[in-house]
Amino acid sequence: MGAVTFPDAKVIAFISQNVIPIRVPFDHKPLAEQFQVKWTPALVTLDMEGKEHHRTVGFLSPEELIPSLLLGKAKIDFDHEDFAKALVTLEDLLKAFPKSAAAPEAIFLRGVCGYKSTNNPKLLKEAYEKLAKDYPESEWTKRAYPYRLI
Amino acid sequence: MGDAIQWESDLDKALSRAKTEKKPVLMDFFNPG
Repeated sequence: MGAVTFPDAKVIAFISQNVIPIRVPFDHKPLAEQFQVKWTPALVTLDMEGKEHHRTVGFLSPEELIPSLLLGKAKIDFDHEDFAKALVTLEDLLKAFPKSAAAPEAIFLRGVCGYKSTNNPKLLKEAYEKLAKDYPESEWTKRAYPYRLI
Repeated sequence: MGDAIQWESDLDKALSRAKTEKKPVLMDFFNPG
């Protein structure tokens, strides 16, 4: 990450504008134990209170890091039940990074946010149909499988 | 924007900035090798 992803100009710009970055060694006391870090690189997205909402372990390319960070941002808003804000971030992610590894989970979460904010269950079914069409092998397609019956 | 990420090293300071700037915190646990 330090050699490839973090020096990338788009990554620098995104991080500068959208998150507060903190970097600590894998054996940092007390943070490594507090966050139960067992392998690196481990990237953890926290809300303003320090609560974890999203984590990745392993290398991410510049093209994968930015959508992963957007997903983390959306998951914070989802967990705080600010579904409208989460939907804006998810739409941004899916528009800019439709082929990223984060995209299938973003589609799943978009469907759930849509349902939670409107009570329209068809949005869950649409999420499944989109996943089945564009990401048939994704674990998120499998997780959305029951929604096909709506 | 600079030519490198400006990492914080203290979580309390990062969280304080997060509240002021209304942004999430990205914490990178790395192996300095």
